[in-house]
Parts: sequence; structure tokens; C-alpha cells
Amino acid sequence: MPKGMFVDTSICTGCKACQVACKEWNALPHEPGHFRFDPVEKRPVAVNFTGDSYDNTGALGATDWRRVRFIEQFSEDRSRGRWLFSSDSCKHCNDAGCLNACPTGAIVRTGLGNVFIRQDVCIGCKYCIPSCPYGVISLSEATGTVHKCTLCNDRIHNGLGTACAKACPTGSISFGEVADLRSAADKRLAQLKGLGYGEANIYGYKEAGGLNVFYLFLDRPQAYGQAESVVVPQKRLPVSSSVAIAGALALGGAALVSFRERGSREENEEVKK
Amino acid sequence: MNPEVHIPGWEWYYVAMYFFIAGISAGAYFIGTLAELFGGERHREISRTGFYIAFPLILLTPPLLIADLGRPERFWHLLFYAKSGIPYMNFQSPLSVGSWALLLFGAMAFLSFLDNLVSEGKLQSAPFAKAYSRIPRKWYAVVGSIAGFFVAGYTGVILNVTARPLWAATNPLVGALFIASAASTGAAAINLVMSWRKKLTDPGLPGFDRFDRLSKVLELVLAVALVLIAGRWAAPLLRGLNAVMFWGGAVVLGTLFPLAAGWYGTRAVEGRIPPERLATVMAVLVLVGGALLRISLLQAGQVQ
Amino acid sequence: MGSNMAECHPVAFRWPLKAKSEHGAVLMHVDPRFTRTSALCDIHAPIRAGTDIVFLGAIINHVIHSERWKTDPFFREYVVNYTNAATLISPDFKDTEDLDGLYSGLSPDGKAYSNATWAYQREKPPAPATKEAKTFTDLLLQRIPGRPKTDPTLRDPRTVFRILERHYSRYTPETVEQICGCPKEKFLKVAESLLNNSGRDRTSNITYAVGWTQHTVGVQIIRTAAVLQALLGNIGRPGGGVLALRGHATIQGSTDIATLYHSLPGYLNMPDARKAHESLKDFILTEAAPLSTSFWGNYPKYAVSYFKAQFGDAATRENDYGYDYHPKITGDHSHMPMFIDMAAGKIKGFLLMGQNPAVGGQNARFQRKALAKLDWMVVRDFFETETAAFWRNSPEIRSGELKASEIKTEVFFLPAAVVAEMEGTFTNTQRLIQAHDKAVDPPGDARSDSWFSFLLGKRLKELYKDSTNDRDWAIRNLLWNYEPEAAEAAEWRIKDEPSAYKLLKEINGYTWEDRKPLSSFANLKEDGSTACGAWIYTGVIPEEGKNRGKSRKGDDWISPNWGFAWPANRHIMYNRASADSSGKPWSEKKKLVYWDAAADSGTKDPAGKPVLGKWVAPSGEGIDFQPTKAPGFRGKDNGLGFDWLSGNDAFIMRSDGKAWLFAPAGLVDGPLPAHYEPYESPVKNLLYRQQSNPVAKVWKMEGNPYHKVADPSYPIVLSTYRLTEHHLTGAMSRWLPWLAELMPELFCEISPELAAERKIRNGEHVTIRTARGEVEARALVTRRMQPFLIDGKTVHEIGLPWHWGWQGTAQGDVVNNLTPLVGDPNVSIHEGKVFTCDILPGKKGGRA
Repeated sequence: MPKGMFVDTSICTGCKACQVACKEWNALPHEPGHFRFDPVEKRPVAVNFTGDSYDNTGALGATDWRRVRFIEQFSEDRSRGRWLFSSDSCKHCNDAGCLNACPTGAIVRTGLGNVFIRQDVCIGCKYCIPSCPYGVISLSEATGTVHKCTLCNDRIHNGLGTACAKACPTGSISFGEVADLRSAADKRLAQLKGLGYGEANIYGYKEAGGLNVFYLFLDRPQAYGQAESVVVPQKRLPVSSSVAIAGALALGGAALVSFRERGSREENEEVKK
Repeated sequence: MNPEVHIPGWEWYYVAMYFFIAGISAGAYFIGTLAELFGGERHREISRTGFYIAFPLILLTPPLLIADLGRPERFWHLLFYAKSGIPYMNFQSPLSVGSWALLLFGAMAFLSFLDNLVSEGKLQSAPFAKAYSRIPRKWYAVVGSIAGFFVAGYTGVILNVTARPLWAATNPLVGALFIASAASTGAAAINLVMSWRKKLTDPGLPGFDRFDRLSKVLELVLAVALVLIAGRWAAPLLRGLNAVMFWGGAVVLGTLFPLAAGWYGTRAVEGRIPPERLATVMAVLVLVGGALLRISLLQAGQVQ
Repeated sequence: MGSNMAECHPVAFRWPLKAKSEHGAVLMHVDPRFTRTSALCDIHAPIRAGTDIVFLGAIINHVIHSERWKTDPFFREYVVNYTNAATLISPDFKDTEDLDGLYSGLSPDGKAYSNATWAYQREKPPAPATKEAKTFTDLLLQRIPGRPKTDPTLRDPRTVFRILERHYSRYTPETVEQICGCPKEKFLKVAESLLNNSGRDRTSNITYAVGWTQHTVGVQIIRTAAVLQALLGNIGRPGGGVLALRGHATIQGSTDIATLYHSLPGYLNMPDARKAHESLKDFILTEAAPLSTSFWGNYPKYAVSYFKAQFGDAATRENDYGYDYHPKITGDHSHMPMFIDMAAGKIKGFLLMGQNPAVGGQNARFQRKALAKLDWMVVRDFFETETAAFWRNSPEIRSGELKASEIKTEVFFLPAAVVAEMEGTFTNTQRLIQAHDKAVDPPGDARSDSWFSFLLGKRLKELYKDSTNDRDWAIRNLLWNYEPEAAEAAEWRIKDEPSAYKLLKEINGYTWEDRKPLSSFANLKEDGSTACGAWIYTGVIPEEGKNRGKSRKGDDWISPNWGFAWPANRHIMYNRASADSSGKPWSEKKKLVYWDAAADSGTKDPAGKPVLGKWVAPSGEGIDFQPTKAPGFRGKDNGLGFDWLSGNDAFIMRSDGKAWLFAPAGLVDGPLPAHYEPYESPVKNLLYRQQSNPVAKVWKMEGNPYHKVADPSYPIVLSTYRLTEHHLTGAMSRWLPWLAELMPELFCEISPELAAERKIRNGEHVTIRTARGEVEARALVTRRMQPFLIDGKTVHEIGLPWHWGWQGTAQGDVVNNLTPLVGDPNVSIHEGKVFTCDILPGKKGGRA
């Protein structure tokens, strides 16, 4: 039975405990690009202020496997205003672009449904990176391989839940069997709709074959930076290949026309002579 | 389309150059094969040239690919699964299938190269020569060409089958475009070698030139079409250095100008510029254009 | 209100969220900024910083004039029985309505109030219960005052209720709009929600933190909320009350066991040379006599047991249990005056444990320069904090204002152990004591604060063991018996860590003779037979070896078997008020503590028949009342403590057993909260002539300049606050790359309107200036900040999180360089939440 996470953004406070718990459990280093080195005091100094609300992480990366988004929506007179939070991470898609793209078999799906990178197999070809429609998987300069959320692979295979779900103080992130999480999510969605949250929706039942890490949003997915109709890129393979083959055939035809005609005319001329 | 899709960070001097060199090699090879299959004796020089240059060129490509890897020493994982050593291919991944195609193409290119040497008497060792001449050479040329078309086109399919907005929006044309460009650059390489060897009065040339023109027309049509179908996502190709490389380099210098020169130019400059010089210049322009085509498409897809 | 709970108490915020998402609770946030808390609340009402009393006072006014409050009998019954609404006040009392913002009793120099005119009218004092005074208790019994006079009909204009009604009559929705800058409709929505959600079946809670305390009217803001909640009948009831969100884990425990200079553990007062505290008898009479008709009537027992715990056998009846040798304070030794003394060279040595005043202190430059006047300083912390490093790389060193070679302060930096490296307890904001285990030894030389203090004490005792000076008696005779048992130290590398169990047991209290732990403070005695460090904690170790702080059996409500809530495991204080005047629950839904007339009280009458009737709480909640006192019981006029209190006197810590709408004593700036502008304000006080708190703690001196009211050079209101990602001065958080990269640089939150006016763009550098200093920050332009329309004029407000300092991995300017030394007169808390400033685009230009 696949396991995953349900992220109920309606009770997320944007506290980022999930980001830190993830780093702590997985012993991830700080994002090198966010620091400069102070040679006098001999320590790194953080310089990554983005000005994008309270989000200085900016994007998921090789050392940032979780990232909280902050979305401010205020009318000019402040009569309507809200601040939405969402903790973003790998969605462990059932039809995963990264897994489909990997040429070495480094990216696999375990028996619990999570998408996992075998660090000793990855060669760092980077093809999975643009193949993820959610901009998740990333290369680490330090290891030369790609990294992303593992769904705490070691924890979940030993009877524990994910570190982020454990650390989340409000229960916004919950870990469990995807089927159970879905019924809880449906109940919560119905409750929110009943309370007047008309735009609330669940993201991840249909997308990319179904997401094992799925969300309850209070606004359209686009507001949260998630593609509304996501296309797993390998879906383009049949047409792309067919057109390339057609191109090849066209060239073959062109060759036929070019090489043979000339040749036969010359032969005919010769014969005529 | 999601602009947040990550950029792979493929370096143009490894990856685009690989596209380019592999394209020339594959193009030269399948031109050589097609010339031999559909043409005849009069196209012997063309196919000989093609088979001569394909192998050395393709030999340049593995170092480029390996150098771009995060873990270059593990390149063999592309062919053999790391944990078991068993040959491995992922049908859903053009990169995986392409690795095998490259291997096959390289092998066939090698055989054709050897064949050239044998038939010209440059490979003396008798037992080898005997064994070699028995293998039906047309068969491996065909197999090699099919692999060659794959090698020429799969790199474009690789780009289309990602989620980067420009590459995804130009689907499904980039593979075909790269094949057309491979034909045109392969032809240019053959032209360059032939003009260097002063074989420009070769009787096979007119047919060859016609094929070359047709492949350039196809390339031009595909280049413009892909920008049109990409709509707003083609923006990186319409500004900055990428636009200069794509339109100025690939389209004008590499395709339009040689085409135009081919139609008007030969007559106008006849007598004033030695044909070898003209052919060399045109070939170089086509090659530069082919390189810029791949560089610009690779870079434009990796714009923030 | 006055808090950003989701931001600063994210774990605790789980519960309000649960109430909202599962039980339909309405969450409202009243705050100048739209914060992480506002994002999860149903209503956000914006107010200008420092105008909370206007807002709350207007709710009071709205409530008491509302149809619902006037007609629903619940409110009348609660207010008349459980508050001092009916009590008559001295005819000499003059309110702010009479004196345009002042109360009667202000001294001629305007610096202090006498509360003589604020007193209750009382009956004649009763005849004392005892003629002879053999004990301290007897002394108190001889001084029982007359009962307060009341008018339960609330018609007399001298009743507290009528005074209050008149006092708040000018606090209207229009006033709120005019002074707070909050639209009337928003205000009324909040007021109506509170009103409609209070009563028999529903209760409402008000939660606050330093957004209320850090003002020159901090205590009065909190009082306004308490008054409001008392009027709404929300106190002592489940889901009601006023909750103070104490600071980081165990700050509650810190004040309970008295790190505050003016308290002894359990909130007894520190012996004070300025008061009538000459002898133990004087101390007890001065402190306890005014409170003797409340549960504080047991003061003598708590005080004597405290001294016994300190000095053990050396504390005897003959030497007043060592009282004479116990230190006495001689003034206001709170943080700000202490640093002022330090700057004047009066303080030689300084021990800092987990504190970083170089960043956290008001007028931080002033405090950093004061550090240079010390002879020596010991800093105990995990990292080299800004305070520890002040002598080598502070802004004053870099600018040349101070030279390292000229600073004579000898700085000792000792590494400290973190919480997981020691055994102990947390006491959190809801008074819940939870024990925590030691997981590992600290590395290398790092040691816990208790190790340090314990060993320092042992060495001092050794040093002074032969002294015959009176002033060394206390050190020599400190009981100090915290040596660990072999079993406690066995599994650890560090063998001399003091015994956490012995420490807690001493705090809990035990009988002196057999050292058996006490299970209740009811068993404390004033004859030296009991020792108790802090009477409020008694019961956490009810028997030898059993630490209730370790218990972890929760349920979905009170959870009496999870930890131990002081006092006596009572989670909701004054819970007698959860039942009506006849002892019946107000409603089935809000049933907590009630009188069961048929239950066996456990005692027998003279005829041997069991006496029936006791208070019960099926949930296991501790009952904050005398267990067998009937609701109708009339207290003895000359009794002490519980004997004096009647069956309806739910507020057992008040000398009249009632919730104080009007505070006749205990506060130095007025019996009723009134709106005063913050000490630095861009506008005049629109309610009264009196601009700011007349008795606020102010230090007009060199190095501490203040801005004028409506100073045109500093027209912008500035508030400082915290973020989830960092902790206080960043001494723990700014050194961790994982946290540093979440909030790397100091930033200033600015409204787009102000940004446009000053040509400031998002992400660029800005400089914020006051007369005390300037800081550089990155601009975060956001609509979550808004300008306020105050009396027709636009007043801008900006905000700065104050976590940054020049050390660590996340570095930035010290925001407290901007703040002045100014504070609340009752508790000396600094006014850090509101002052004025100016802001300019661009960096400071190289100035330190």
C-alpha cells in the first residue's frame, strides 16, 4: 500500500519547522549558494535575502528538499487580504518524470511508492532535472549526483513517519497510507467548503498519475506555483519520435530523388550516346 | 508550462558540441549510405568521404559527454546497471536508448571506416582483410545509418521530452530539425573534405548538391515552425545573444545564405572566385550555423 | 492581541487552530501588522501600536451598554458575585474623568501616586480573634480589616461599576477609529463576537504576550483585558481566561523560582531595605497584613519554610530563621537601572548566563558602553555572543569610539550545556511543569548553569568558612545539599552535576525532621518544621521518588496526569467561578468544578455523622477553592485567609476574594486602565490632556535622548518584534546555518504607501534612525503593513525584527541601537513595542 503525505495548507502557519527537520534528519548541509565566507571570523555568512515575503529559500534544490511558499494576496485598501502558506516538496508522482527519464536506473520506486535516488548509481547526467514538471530534483556540485526528498526512505521502512510530518506543530503535514490520507483530505475539503472556502481544492488526485504527496489548497494551484494541468514530459515521446522518424524518412525520400534521378538521367544520356 | 522547472546546467561546450559533432558524423554517414544505396558508382567519392569522416568524428563525442557528467567515472552506468553489471536500457528515456544507439552507430562507423581502408588497400594484413570483405557491407551501412539517424535526432527528442517551457513548447519538431541539420552539416563536412582534396568536379556532386539543398529547406521550415508553435515560450530565442545565434547564425548564415548563394551565387562569381574557395567558405558557414543552432537552442532552454 | 502566537509559539498555536478547524472557534487578531497569526485568524483588526487600551476600553464600554449584557441574568450574577463591581470606593477618589487623565493622589512633583484615595470603603475592623500573639499568624489575626462595603444593586455612584462605567464612557467606536486607526465596522465585529461568545454556554479567551507587556502602560493593558473578561464572566471557566504567552520554554519556571530581583520563589516579595522590613516580623506584617484575608494569609508559612529551605539547621526560631542575614534590595535593580549604574561605574562584576544585552538591551549602544566599565564579566553561553565579544569587534570598537586596549573589563567566556545535555524541568506558560531527561553529556568543558552555580556556591562556602562577619553568615550557612547520588551520576561522564531531583525536592518542600516530601502546601508550617523552596510547586514531588513532572498520560481535555500544573495541579485558576453562586455549573457544556451536596466531605460532625457536601471535578482538574466550603458559607469577619473568605469568594488570592475591576492597591499608575500615548508618539493624546503615563520609568540623562511628542524629525511609528526562525538576540539561532539561511538578513517591513513616499524599493537597503542610533536593513515592502489615519492625519508604521547582531552566521545591525531606556512603572519592563523614528532609502554610508 503506497504511503505518502497530505499537506493541509489551511492550517499551515509557515513556521518552516518542516524545512529544518528535513535538514536535520537527512544531515543536509546549508545551501552553499546562500552564503559567503568571512575570512576574518572564519565562518559562513548568510546573504540570501530575497525580498519575496518570508521565503528566502527561493526554490527546491539539492540541499533544500522542502521549501515553504508565502503568497500575499491583498487588495489595495486591505478590505480583502490573506497570506497563504504552502510547504512544497517532491510529490512522489505515480508517473514520475524524473524516474522515467533516468538512463541508469538510479531513480527507482520502492515498495512503499516513494521515488528514491540510489546515490551509488547516479552519474549526474542531469536529465531528470528538467524532466520534473515541478522543479524538484537538483544536482549537488559536491557529490556530482542529484538529490531530492526521499520521503524519509529510511524512516518509513522502519515503521516511522517522515521527519517533516513529525515536526509540523499544527498537523498540517500528515504521513500515512495514501488511501487513508485521501479520505481525511476529502473530509477536510468538505468541511472547508461548508465554512465558505469556495475555492478550496485538492491537488494531486489526478496529476501525474496521482501524487503520493498531495495538497489541499485554498486558491487555484497556479497561485501556489503548481501547474494546473501538469504534463509528465514523457507523454510527448511518441509524437516527438514519430515526427523525427518522419523527418528521417523525408530525407530518405530527398536522397532517393536526388541521387537516383541524376544518376539515371546520366545513364540514359550515356545510353543514348 | 511551469517556469520553475529546473535548469539542468548542461554546458554548451560539452553538450551542444556533442549534438553538433555527432550530427555531422551521423549526417555524413547516412549521406554516404544513401548515396551508395540510391546512387551508384558516380557517388562513390561522396560515400567514401562520408564513411571516412564519420568514425573519427564520433570518436570525439564520448569524452564530451563524459566530461559533462557529475560523476564522469560512472559513465558506464549508461549501458550496464551499476548493481548487477547487466546491460540496461530504459525505453522511456531517449537518453538511455540514445546511449545504445551511439554505441551501435560508433561500431558501424568503425566497420565502414575499416572497410574504406581495406578497399583502398591500406590495411594489408591478409587474414583480417579476407574476413572483412565477406561481411555484407551494405547491411551494416544500413544498420549504421538507422542508428545514425537516431543519433542525429534523439538529442532533439531529449530536449522536447522535458518540462523546460521552451523545449516542451517546441515539441515535436526539434528532433526532426536536428536530423535535417545533421544532413546539412554532414553534407558541408563532406564538401569541405572534397574541396580540400580537390575533388569538386566529381560527377556525383550535382545530385549531392540537390540533396543538400532539400535538407536545408527542410531545416529552415522546421526552424521557423518551431518558433511559431512555441508561442510566448519562444521568448528566449527572440532576444539577446540566443536570438543572434539562432536567427543570425543558424538561420541566416547557416541556411538562408548558403541556399541563396547556391541558387544565384555560383553564376555571379564564376571565374572570379575559385570554386574550391567558395565551396570551403559555404561549408564553413553551414557548419558554424549548425553549431550555433544547437548552442542557441540549448542555452535558450536554460534561461532563468 | 499583543501577541503573534503562530509566529512565536507555533507549537502552542496548534490548539487554537484545532479549536477553529474542529470546533468552529472564531479566532481574532488585533495587531498593527498582518502577521502569520492574522493569516490563520478569521478576523484581523489593525490598530496603531500602543493604542490597545482604547480598543479594549471601547469593548468594555460597548459590552456594558449592550442589550445582551444588560438582560442576560448570567452577567449580572457573575459580576455581582465574583467581581468587586459592587464594592464602594472612597469618596475622595477622583478619576481621569475628573482630572483630565490623572487620578487623585499624585505627588506634587508628579512622580508617584499615593493610593490612599483609591481604597475601599470598609466596615469597622472586627474584634481580633486572639488577644495574645504567639505566632506570626496570630499577629495577622490581630490586624484583620473591616469588610468592604458594597451595594449589590450597583446603583450607588461610588460603586466600582458606576466609576468604571463613567471612566470608559468616552471610549467609543468613533474613538477607536480616531485613535487606533481601526475602522469602526472591524472594531464592532470584534466586540460583538466577544460579547456573543460569552455567557453560560460559551466562553472566550484573550491571549497576549510582549506586544502588551513591553509598553509604559503594559500592566494596565493587561488589566483592561482582565476587567473585560471579568465583566464577560470568562474567568475561571474552561475556554475563558486571560492567557499570558510567556517567552521561551521555562521562562515561567524562571520567574516562579525567582530570577527576578524583586521576588522570592513563589512570588513572595524580596526583603527590601526601603520598606518596613527590618525584622522577619516586620517583613511578614508589611507584606502579608494587606493580603491576610486572601489565601496569602498563609504568608508566614510560605516565608518561614522558604528561609528554612535556604539555611536548614542554621535557621531557627531564635534567629528568625536567618532573615537578618538574608540580602535585601535597596532600589530598582531591574535591567535598565542596573545598566545605568553599570555605566556610572558602580558595578564591578557581572555574571551573564544565557543573556545577550549587547543586542537585547534597550539603547544597546548605551549598554555596550556600560560593559566597558566593569572590572570583570563572566559570560556563559553556547557561542561567543555579541556581549562576550563586545570588547573586540562591536560597532563601538569598529568606529573607534571604544578602544580594546582601553577597556579594562576582564571577560571570561565559559561554554554552556544545552537543554538536552541536562536533566531538569520546563515550566511553560500554562504553569505546567514537565520534566525532561538528560540525553547526552555536554562536550568538552561545556557545563550546565546549575553545575556552574552549584560549584561556585561550594567554592564560595569554602572561601568564607572561617569568616565571622555577619554579612558572610548567609553564604556560610546555605544548605546547598545538591550533591548527586552515585546512581544519578553513574551513566554520565560528568560526575559532579548537581542532583536535579534534590533541587526539585527542595523546591517542592519536605518536613524537616524526616525529610519526607510534602504533597500539599496546606501542610506548610510557620514553626520551622517544614522547608519549602517555592510553595506554589508543592505537590510536584508528592512522595519520595515520585516526580509528577514526568507523568505523560494525556486525555482530550484537562489531562491531569500529564505533568503537574502549579498550584496543586490546578489548570484553570479561580475555577470556583465555573459554577454559579449556588454551586451549580453555569451550563452542562461548560461544567468544570461544581458543588456536590450529597458527597461525603471526608469529615465528621461532633455527633459522628459524616458531613456532606464538597466541590467535585470529574475531569480530575485541581479545585482552586477550599474543597468542603459550601457555596453559601459566610466567612468569619475576623478570620484569616480561607476562614474569612465566603463560599462565593472565587478569587482566593485577592484580599476580598473578588476579581478586581478596580484595583485599590498593587499598581502604581492607577486603579483603572486609561489610555496614555506611548512615551514617544507622533500624535497627542486625544482622550486626555495627560499625554503619557505620568509615572512611567524615565531616565533623562546623557546617552539616552528621547524624541518630543509629534517630533517632525521622527514622524514614523516603529515597532520591534520576533520571527519564528530566530530566537531573541539570535545567540542560539543565528549561529546555525540551517536557521541563518531561513532568515539571513535584517529587514524592515514597510507599507507600499510609505515606500512610494520615500522612494524605497523592495529588497533595497534602507536606514532607520532615532536619536539613539541608526540601523541598516533590507526593505520588505508589503501590504501587510498599513498606514493609519489618526484624527485625520496619516501616520505610518514600520516594523523591525530585532534578532540580529554582528556575530554569527546571520549578521545584521542591532535594532536595539534605536530604542531608548524607558519602562513600565510597575514592573520596569522596557517600552520596546512602540517608539518613533525616521526612515531613508540607502545604506548608512559606512557609519557604524
